[in-house]
Order: sequence, then C-alpha cells, then structure tokens
Amino acid sequence: MQTLADYYGKTLKFDKLTSYCPGCGHGIVTRLVAETIEAMGIREKTMAVVGIGCGGFSHHYLEVDAMEAIHGRSPASAIGYKIALPDHIVFTYQGDGDTSAIGLHEIMHAANRGMPITCIMVNNSVFGMTGGQMSPTSIPGQVTSTTATGRDVAVHGYPLLVPEMMRAMQGVSYLARESVVDVKSIKKAAKSIRNAFECQVRGLGFSFVEVISPCPTGLHLSVPDAYAFAAKETLSYFKPQVFKNELEKNDEV
Amino acid sequence: MKETLFLKNTETFAESMIRCGIRCHFAYPITPATDVMKYTSRMLPEHGGRMVQMESELAVSNALAGYACAGKLGATSTSGPGMTLMQEAIGFMAAGELPCIMLDAMRVGPGDGDIIGAQSTYYQATRGGGHGDYRVIVLAPSCGQEIADLMPHGIKLAMTYRNPVLFVVDGVTCQMTETTSFEEPHDYTADFDTSSWAFTGTADHPKRFLVTGSYTHEQGYEMNEKMRQKYVEISDKEQMWEQDQVEDAEVLVVAFGIHGRMCKDLVEASRAKGKRVGFIRPITLWPFPDKAFENIPASVKSILVVEMNHGQMVDDVRLAVNGRVPVHFLGKTGGEIPMCTLAEMTREANNLLEGE
Ligand code: SF4
Repeated sequence: MQTLADYYGKTLKFDKLTSYCPGCGHGIVTRLVAETIEAMGIREKTMAVVGIGCGGFSHHYLEVDAMEAIHGRSPASAIGYKIALPDHIVFTYQGDGDTSAIGLHEIMHAANRGMPITCIMVNNSVFGMTGGQMSPTSIPGQVTSTTATGRDVAVHGYPLLVPEMMRAMQGVSYLARESVVDVKSIKKAAKSIRNAFECQVRGLGFSFVEVISPCPTGLHLSVPDAYAFAAKETLSYFKPQVFKNELEKNDEV
Repeated sequence: MKETLFLKNTETFAESMIRCGIRCHFAYPITPATDVMKYTSRMLPEHGGRMVQMESELAVSNALAGYACAGKLGATSTSGPGMTLMQEAIGFMAAGELPCIMLDAMRVGPGDGDIIGAQSTYYQATRGGGHGDYRVIVLAPSCGQEIADLMPHGIKLAMTYRNPVLFVVDGVTCQMTETTSFEEPHDYTADFDTSSWAFTGTADHPKRFLVTGSYTHEQGYEMNEKMRQKYVEISDKEQMWEQDQVEDAEVLVVAFGIHGRMCKDLVEASRAKGKRVGFIRPITLWPFPDKAFENIPASVKSILVVEMNHGQMVDDVRLAVNGRVPVHFLGKTGGEIPMCTLAEMTREANNLLEGE
C-alpha cells in the first residue's frame, strides 16, 4: 500500500496534526521547507535550528535533526553547528518576533559573517504565540493587543525591514522577501527557499528569505480576511522581491 | 614527555585546552579573560582548530550550544559581566545535556563591576545564574599548574555527565605568570563516544531533537527528574578538595582559589609556632565538598572562611558544618588590593585560636 511518505517523501511528517491554527501561513512555509529538503536530497545531513514562537514547532513536522534554540539566538547556534560540521546543512526557522525583535543582533551579525547557513524568517507582523502583541514588523496603524489604537510610528517607530538592512552586506549570497498570500506567491517563495538552500550547498555564503504570512489568530481575523490583510496591508509595506542572488553568477536552479 | 612553560595563567588555560583536544574556542573580548582568546587565535589553527570571535557573549554561548549539538566539546572564556550574559545559554546547555568547558576569570561586581580580580561570582557559578533547577560543575584551581592538571578531569566530567563545566579562577591568579608543566598532548574529547546523542543528521540514526521548551508536562517532569538524579550522582561522586593538618586542628581555614593556595603558607607558619591550624581547600565548588566537613575532629573550635568577596562560599561551609562549629568569615573585595593578605589571615586565625 502506498503511504503519504511514498508520495511526498520522508521529510514532511504526516503522523500528527500540526499545532498551527487553521489557516496559518506557517503550515505552508514549513511544507515549502520540507519539500525543498526532500527535492535536494539533503534530509539526512540537515539540522533545523528553530526559534521560539509558533515557528518553534515547525521541526515537529520535519524528519530532520533539530534543536529549539533560545529566543532569537538561532543564527548563533546555527553558526556553532556549522563550524562543527561544515559539510552539513543547517537552517534556522524563526518568526518575526524571534528574528527582528529579540534576535536582531544575532541575525544581522550572522548575515554579515557570511557563513553559509540559511535563515527563514516567517513574518506575520504580530507576536502570534504570546497572543497578538505588536511586533517590530507590525505595520503603521495595525491594531494589536499592545497597540489598541494602532501602531503609532511616532511612539513605536517604523516596521523593521530586515532584508533591506542586510542588502549591503557582502557575506549575503541570497536575499529575498516572498509571501504565501496566493498560489503565485507561494510558487515564488518555493523558488527562493530552494535558492537559499542551494547557496548553502554551494558554500556561497549566508542566505535569507523573509516570508510574509498571515496569522489569523494573532490578527483576530477570519482566515480569508487574514490573507486579504497580509496581501494588501502587509505587502504594501513589505515589498516582495529578490534583493540579491549570487546563484546568478553560477547557474540558478 | 612533559613540557614546562612559563605562561600567564589565562594562557595556561588556553594551552591546556588545546593540549587536551579542544579545537574550538568561542569568545568575546573582556578583561581579564581576553588573553585566552589571543592565545587560541594564534595557536589553535596550528592544531586544525579555531578561535571564533562572536559579536557578544550571548552569541558566544549560543554558538557553543550549537557546536556541542554536533557532539563536539567546545570552550569559552569570559569574566564577570560576560558570564552574566552567557547564563541564558548555559542553562539551556544544562537542560539539553550539552557539554562545554568554560573559564570565568572572576572579577569584582556587581553591575559592570571593575576589572580587578575577585571571587564575586561564587553564587552565580554554584547556584546557576539562569532559571530552573540546573547545575553547572564548577572547578576552582588555585594556580596555573592546577589549571593544567584539572583540564583532563574537567573534560571527563563534561563528557561523562554531558554538562557544562566551569573553571572559576580569580582575575589576579589569571594574570599571574607561572611555571607550569604540561603532560603529553592527548585528545581527551575523543575518548568519549557521542554517537548515541549527537545531532549529526538522520543518515545513521532516527530523527533527534533537542527540546527544552515545547515539551509536554509529562516530558518536562521526566526531563527534570532525570537531571535531578544526575546531579545527585555528581554530588555523590565528584567532590574534590585538598586538606592538610586537619586531624588535630583547633582552627580550620577554608578558602578556594588563591586564598586556598595561601592557606598552605598560613598553616605551615602557624604549625612552626606550635599553633594547631589546618585547612580545607575546596576544588569543586559545585558539587561543594560537604564530605570534607563530615568528620572534622572534635579538636576544631572554629572555622575561618576566607574569600575575595563579601561572603558567599561561607554559606556552603555553614550548611556543611550544620551548626557543629562556629564559622567565621574574612573577606575583601574591590579597591586596589581586593585580596586578604597573609598577615590578615594569620591575625584572624590567631584571634580564633585565642578564642576571641
Ligand atoms: S497564532 Fe498565528 S502564527 Fe501562531 S499558529 Fe496561530 S495563526 Fe499561526
């Protein structure tokens, strides 16, 4: 009898329901990462370093070795791991709070160091797991549980543009912002995630993909409305694009 | 063949770890620990290793955790405020049962403190600076030679118990230059098979994952209980101390590190004058050597604890003695000369001998 694993490969685990809320973008991103690992045939030498937050559960649905790093520190732990096993593939999977609030320091230095590791930042513009507080990536006017009248840039500053901050760094080999708000975007996100891993496999340098994603629960929106919010409001501030692609100098996948 | 070198004790720490097989040293500059990283940055590449200078102590300790995940033993070195920043990942490594070797070149605190050497981090080292019921094995060498001698043992402890091991050496001792004899280089880290737990990819094992956060309540209980049992075992088996002239002592001096080293002179000089003074020098601070105090003779009238702080280890001595004998304290910290002098130690011991 054919199993789902025969059909989809071994990387994505089907033996339990995910803890993600219905309609959460994490489900899509986790699957894209799993499919990339499967397609590249690197599962057996891949290590996931996941952050704190809803994304921290991602490794439960992946058949790869994994560690749950401390809030924000996944890139530093990934660097330590890569130094120990340079031929292995290591990626971080972090939310926007983990990456751009508490872990901004680690992600920026990891990018600048240029060591070939891959970092995936799932940006849903809100702290999901802790119950919908303002994130550094909440957009102006966004109502959250800690910005009841909307994010006021005069008080809270502006949404943090992480890949834009990395753009000038020479150690960065692949840098993109994608989204999972519709099928076309998901296909592009799949390609960027694949390219990011490919850069690591080829040892070209640090690779980073920010993926704009909806958080229906944290945003207190229905699933369709959360997707509409991400597609319209979030993407109006966070423009999807490939900022940098060193694979073009080689041959792109 | 043994090799004798004339090194600063921070360099002795570096040389010892290189000779004992450690190939990766993560660090961030801080006085007075920085000489360790200067030394390893120069010497480790010759041995196929490297010093990795990170952007902060937070990054250092978390990189060390990532390195340890691969089943390899790495090291770090820091001082006071750096140690405080590292606590986050040290607790994480203890919970994840990841080994590492660390040096705290202890300086005076609190806050950013001062670069002057002290023993102000006894509480932090032995109680755990992070949250949760975890323990770090703490070794307190009193000189360069003991740093070199304890390194193989520290590695054995770290790998056997899969736990962080911390060397605490006051900044004064760290900056002293001494003659130290080193044993033939040997990779002690290779004596331990990490294949049963290391995260090396699923080619040769089913998926492994290190979860210290999102476990179920039952898993959390099991994890904590397993760790508790491990700590009981370490406490039972791994206490180390040095003692001399305890058998008929009237006054016992208890000190670790540099003051522990000074105890030898104190006891020798006192005995030469017919004064019955003995000493106990804890070498492991955690586990604290309670056993050294189990059978102290009836001749002991009082105990004097000497530290370069305002009284931290004295609490452990009081717990070990459990009210059987009065425990007194002599300590000094901060200022230009933060240490107690031999004259001060002698005066205090004499006062106690005279029953003052
Ligand atoms: S809270 Fe938001 S991010 Fe977290 S699982 Fe639910 S929808 Fe996804």
